[in-house]
Amino acid sequence: MTSADQTSDVTPFDCSHALRLPAADWVIVAVAMLAIIGLAPIVWQRYERFEPGDDYRMPYELSSDYWLYSRYSRQACDKRKTLLIGDSVVWGHYVPPNETLSHYLNEFSGRQQFANLGLDGTHPAALEGLLRHYSPSLSGRTVVLHFNPLWMTSVKHDLQTDKEFHFNHPDLVSQFTPKIPCYKAPFAARVRIALKRTIPLANWIAHLRTTYYESSDVQNWTLRHPYNCPLKQLTRGLPESAGVPEPAGGTWVSKGAKKQDVTWVDLDTSLQWKFFRRSIELLRKQGNQVFVLVGPFNEHMLNEADAAAYGAIKTKVAQWFAENKVPYFLPPALPAEHYVDASHPLGEGYALWARELLQDPAFTALIQ
Amino acid sequence: MLFQSLPFLVFFAVVYSGYLLVKGTRLRLPWLLVSSYVFYAWLSPLYLIPLAYATVVDYFVAGRIESSPRKRAWLTLSILNNVLVLGFFKYAGFVAENVNALLSAMKVSYAISPPSFLLPAGLSFFLLQSIGYTIDVYRGTTKREKNFLAYAAFVSFFPRLLAGPIERANHLLPQLHGQGRVTLRDFTDGLSIFVVGYFKKVALADYLAIYVAGVYGSPDQHQAPALLLATLLFAWQIYFDFSGYTDMARGIARMMGIGLMLNFNNPYLAVSMGDFWKRWHISLSSWFRDYVYIPLGGNRKGTFGTYRNLFLTMVLSGLWHGAAWTFVLWGAIHAVGNMATRELERTPFYMKKLPTIVKQLFVFAMVTFAWIFFRAATIGDAWTIVARIFTSGLSDPKCPMLALGLIAAVWVYQYLFESRLRSILEIRPVRIALMILLLTYLVLTVPAEGQPFIYMQF
Repeated sequence: MTSADQTSDVTPFDCSHALRLPAADWVIVAVAMLAIIGLAPIVWQRYERFEPGDDYRMPYELSSDYWLYSRYSRQACDKRKTLLIGDSVVWGHYVPPNETLSHYLNEFSGRQQFANLGLDGTHPAALEGLLRHYSPSLSGRTVVLHFNPLWMTSVKHDLQTDKEFHFNHPDLVSQFTPKIPCYKAPFAARVRIALKRTIPLANWIAHLRTTYYESSDVQNWTLRHPYNCPLKQLTRGLPESAGVPEPAGGTWVSKGAKKQDVTWVDLDTSLQWKFFRRSIELLRKQGNQVFVLVGPFNEHMLNEADAAAYGAIKTKVAQWFAENKVPYFLPPALPAEHYVDASHPLGEGYALWARELLQDPAFTALIQ
Repeated sequence: MLFQSLPFLVFFAVVYSGYLLVKGTRLRLPWLLVSSYVFYAWLSPLYLIPLAYATVVDYFVAGRIESSPRKRAWLTLSILNNVLVLGFFKYAGFVAENVNALLSAMKVSYAISPPSFLLPAGLSFFLLQSIGYTIDVYRGTTKREKNFLAYAAFVSFFPRLLAGPIERANHLLPQLHGQGRVTLRDFTDGLSIFVVGYFKKVALADYLAIYVAGVYGSPDQHQAPALLLATLLFAWQIYFDFSGYTDMARGIARMMGIGLMLNFNNPYLAVSMGDFWKRWHISLSSWFRDYVYIPLGGNRKGTFGTYRNLFLTMVLSGLWHGAAWTFVLWGAIHAVGNMATRELERTPFYMKKLPTIVKQLFVFAMVTFAWIFFRAATIGDAWTIVARIFTSGLSDPKCPMLALGLIAAVWVYQYLFESRLRSILEIRPVRIALMILLLTYLVLTVPAEGQPFIYMQF
């Protein structure tokens, strides 16, 4: 193709519309689109009011808004010395912001040092993706990484089943390798997810959809709100959070403190453990100091055999941390009445956990 | 592989790069053919069987038509063969269903089991194109294609394989034989056409489809306003869907330096039903005109003969769309509408006094009414919709204002395009601004997953 061709016009433009653009006009369109694609998220970031709160805890309803998570993460990295990262146990699933682990650590240490970067539902496979793709400022920091043994309580939780299983945060997990057997998304969908992670505009659009359009695209949103103007939805501030979910049917004790059968996954074959180790490696590679918090799992609900198996897992986990020189804290279980379920403590449980943690020499040395 | 999908983007990037490398060489036709077969096999490798079969048979038969004294017999064989293939895949279930209904009415306790195979996508399109070719060879309006690769590429050319346009041999074959010259203008024009088609399909058709599916899925649970609006939205949905596909197909072909025929020309601005069919699915309506209506006698057999031919052609066209009585009825309604506007066009009042916009709205109303039968799942549903439009009460239709606004914007654009104000749309900054607007809308509002095209099922 030559520029001379541009001026020749042998083939007629038999079309039912007038949108015929020659190359020069396409260049203008391309420049304009690149400007929109590049600048829109930046401009929006300045426009949208962002008040992350005292401990940087994301609103529960926006748990799948990774663009917003990046924003929380970036700001927390700027303002706080130590970042707590993990799933809903770190986030504080059944407790208000002033009863979370990070809150009590700040309160008991007397310093505003800890940020709550927990995200609801992030099992280790998703956590690795969250750290890899949506935590851009996470380097040279002190990171307290939480490991929740809940994700190893069955082959299903460990994502090892061959049968398709819809788990939390599929957009965060590894799309190609390492392979996750129960993840059966079509190839095109995986490519789309992998591309989305690299395009800020795509993440920003996902943010708008999650935050302002009830987690759907604008078109589907208009079907639920036929007479509303979609542009009016784009208010400056994030919508108010509805708070935290109530435990269904009460706490574990109030429900009768029944023992449950657990089929622990072998640590050597566990996918979630593998992803967790990859997260540690990634954080260390980025120059972060990593401290691991394990549990505290609700061991009261385990029968004798399962408790013994859990004990073996704890030993192996501790051994791996020691071999790899990863400082860690593996507390005994909290009192039974402090649990909502298998892994989530109540406020008193978080307070007790924070106190125990602040007495751990390795931890105190780290946060000095 | 849908044009608006990621796999197609990758496929086309590979095919196009290869095409630019081999254009002007002997590898061009093999490259086009392999690309087209890969494109089709992506849906199901089994689909290649009827495609290859129809290609081989008609290539051979066309040779016989040219050389044998029994030309008519060979032509009949070609038509019968294609109709049988079409009948086998598309109408066997329909026939079985109706025979069973008949047997049941006659209290015969025997039933034919309906076939369980799938209709290969685009079958009706490439078979019609193949029939058109053998008839043209028979009539001597086109020369028999001696190069098998060229003929196979003509039948299977991937941009138009799934839903047309149904090309004529004397239009597409010479372009396949050419040197494959691709200019920058070809590329930019193709891109312009493609983007508009993409917008029509993804931003408009798929959006309207959500509302339409909700209402047409349970017509007895909706009242007149919702049924009316869903019918109106469907009229635009099918237009955006099919013309969007065609624009994308034409855009892709144009980027490769190949021109496909114009298939839609703002049909909802038609002033008569005859005019509508000169603007809607032009490649199909001209196919039926040339290979069915005219051979039946066309308008050379007096008023009754003309209307009989028109009726038969339209009913056949309806049946071509789908193996169901709803499509037959849709064709019949169009035939009656066509006759009605033909009669009206004989009156000076309609021709001279009635404002164009009134004629356009009248034709649009008729076409939209016919769409009820096209879209409804059964004739029973279609009657329910018609009856409820007139008899049910008024309730909030909950139809998105955005959808209606987009339709209004498109209508105004098309109206301007056909008016004396067209020059406004051709002002350079206006064109650039419109393109940026389309792309921005696409980027910001459209869901990632695309929906299949309606006409692919035919």
